[in-house]
Amino acid sequence: MAAGLALFGLQAFWGSKMVYPGWSQNYSPVQSGKDLITGGLGADQMLFALAGFREFIAGILWVRADSFFESGNYDAILPIIRLVTFLDPHEIDVYATGMWHIGYNFTDEEQRSDRRYLPSALALGEEGAKQNPNTYELYFETGWLWYHKIDDNYDKAVYWMEQADSKQDILLQPARRNLLSRLYERNGEIDKALNHWYTVYDIAQAAYDEDKDRRNYQLRQNRDTIENNLDTLLIRMSQRGYFAEKENRSLEGYDVNPPFDVGFSVKVTVTDERVIRVQGNWNVLSIGSRIRCVLRDANFPNVIPGGDNWDKGATVNFDPDRQSTYMQEQLFVRNQRFDKTIDMSRDPTMYPFFGDNYVLEFYYNPRSAPEHIQDKFGWNGEGMTDKENPTNMRTDIRPGMKCLYLSLPISKDQILLRGKYRGTTPVIRSAGYHDTEKDYTHTATGEADIPILRGQ
Amino acid sequence: MRPIIAIAKATVGEAIRRRVLLIILFVATILLFVAPLLGVLSARQEKTVLTGFVLGIVQLSSAVIAITLTVYMLPNEIERRTIYTILSKPVQRFQFLMGKYLGAVSALALMMGLMACVTILEFGVMQHDWAKGIELLQGIGMFFVQMSLLASVAMCLSTFVAPLVNFFLSGGIYLIGTLGYAFFDSFNKNPNAPAFSKGLAWFVSTILPNFASYNVQNKLINPETVIQNQFAYAVNAVVYGLFYIVIMLIAGMLIFDRREV
Repeated sequence: MAAGLALFGLQAFWGSKMVYPGWSQNYSPVQSGKDLITGGLGADQMLFALAGFREFIAGILWVRADSFFESGNYDAILPIIRLVTFLDPHEIDVYATGMWHIGYNFTDEEQRSDRRYLPSALALGEEGAKQNPNTYELYFETGWLWYHKIDDNYDKAVYWMEQADSKQDILLQPARRNLLSRLYERNGEIDKALNHWYTVYDIAQAAYDEDKDRRNYQLRQNRDTIENNLDTLLIRMSQRGYFAEKENRSLEGYDVNPPFDVGFSVKVTVTDERVIRVQGNWNVLSIGSRIRCVLRDANFPNVIPGGDNWDKGATVNFDPDRQSTYMQEQLFVRNQRFDKTIDMSRDPTMYPFFGDNYVLEFYYNPRSAPEHIQDKFGWNGEGMTDKENPTNMRTDIRPGMKCLYLSLPISKDQILLRGKYRGTTPVIRSAGYHDTEKDYTHTATGEADIPILRGQ
Repeated sequence: MRPIIAIAKATVGEAIRRRVLLIILFVATILLFVAPLLGVLSARQEKTVLTGFVLGIVQLSSAVIAITLTVYMLPNEIERRTIYTILSKPVQRFQFLMGKYLGAVSALALMMGLMACVTILEFGVMQHDWAKGIELLQGIGMFFVQMSLLASVAMCLSTFVAPLVNFFLSGGIYLIGTLGYAFFDSFNKNPNAPAFSKGLAWFVSTILPNFASYNVQNKLINPETVIQNQFAYAVNAVVYGLFYIVIMLIAGMLIFDRREV
């Protein structure tokens, strides 16, 4: 009996000290405390999962998710994504599809995505990358989300793309490495962008040289694309005065000098309950020029001017804060004007307006601008100015650059036409706003007046 | 030692003649052959799902075989009164129990060996990947230790519990034992877990055998996974299993020794 008890004690010691730590580190399905694999599984599925059929159950669940995609039942897909990634954390496609789905597909009536989901999409990407550290894919996908969807905070995009770039298997998709150079540009790291173009060019040239028979068209195309981009960047560095600035020479005569007067002003009219009309002036060439307009809670968490930090920790939570409001819209500019009616009345769950005070933000980041506009504005906005409202040009919003930023307060009573605003049409104007009789929004009847950017 | 070996040999002969075990084995083999067709159910490589599914079949069918094989061993001998013939010979009760257990484990080894052969053939012939099939022997080997542990639990219980109750009890212990570490780990990694739940999970995972220790498919299903000290872990897990098997057999012997048959 005593020997049996001693053995029992020994097994307990051996199990907890010698076996469990290794199991927890290498074989546990639990990555963090809330990730117990059984959550959300039916009894039969749980039994199968426990019996070792985790990948199999994950596969069946993902097939089920496909049918939900087909029927547009997007809410039903979220728990399946979570479950599949618990059961089989190496399902890279599920992580990638899940990130895309969460980040892009939850939209309002006017196809504006619900940005409150972005932290979850990012957290899913981060978790996927952590679970699959040997492949570039989820690092790339997370970087892509920062670059394409968030289109701001480029330092984050660079971080993830650098991680992706360090993985061996990205060499199987060489063109994907090119994006990092673009991101360095967006992040204001022009020298790094140039160096990276040279690096990928050398690799592309070597791969092309290895293909003795010249049968692989992609190798040639990739090399030529990189060469073209490299040349273009060098020309831009020259024309935008990058080299001159480095050598402390005058920027006189370069494209960014004299700075272009963007002449920004805006008027916001609450035309109906939860419906706002945003009108304004913006002297910049139409094509590809969009001003970001944000309407959010004044105390929206983790916020930065004109956007958000979005990266709110590694916890994947598919249920965003239903009490906060965050609307983001792009104001398309045509003939120096923008005029957009934003209707938030049909989607009360996306725009609940629980708080009392809100902020209207107008933001233009020259690093997100298309190349032809950047040719005048420069990478860091050095070619922008606003003569009438110089306070709109800010250098304290994003490090190392000048951007347009204007913040206007608006109250819940104004948006919902309640209290003293009942029966009125609230109007909020920025300084220097001037109305115009011209109808710039219809080119058929309006007068086209497209200025060029080069010089004044 | 000779009586133990004789009883073990007889037990193996008896086991391979039992139709119910052969049917389970047959079904498992059929499922192993069908497994490649299920690869379409995954967004990932078919081979990943196939590997996971094949290992799952081997594990599940081995568990059913291990329990079915052992729960009836002692009760049948008592019911058919053949135990009197054996115990009237110069055979101690502990020798009888040891022989039965070793026979059960040997029969289990035979059946799992057959499944392992089918698995290797499946990967080699159908997937043209003999190396992968042979690599899976690591996982099947660990399953064998797991099933030996399960057999020892069922054997111990069979000394004082009716076969049907034993069947479900052993199955339940296997289920909890498979979950034990996962629950404990879940609480352990969650800083907000209540201390009571954490303590309870620790208690359960300490008392009951941890069958999850032998689920080492990670590396086999996902070759890119980096496992730290794989060999040392395997040795520790096997030693743990041996400790527990010895405990179960000692307990079984003590109970069986005091039991009237």
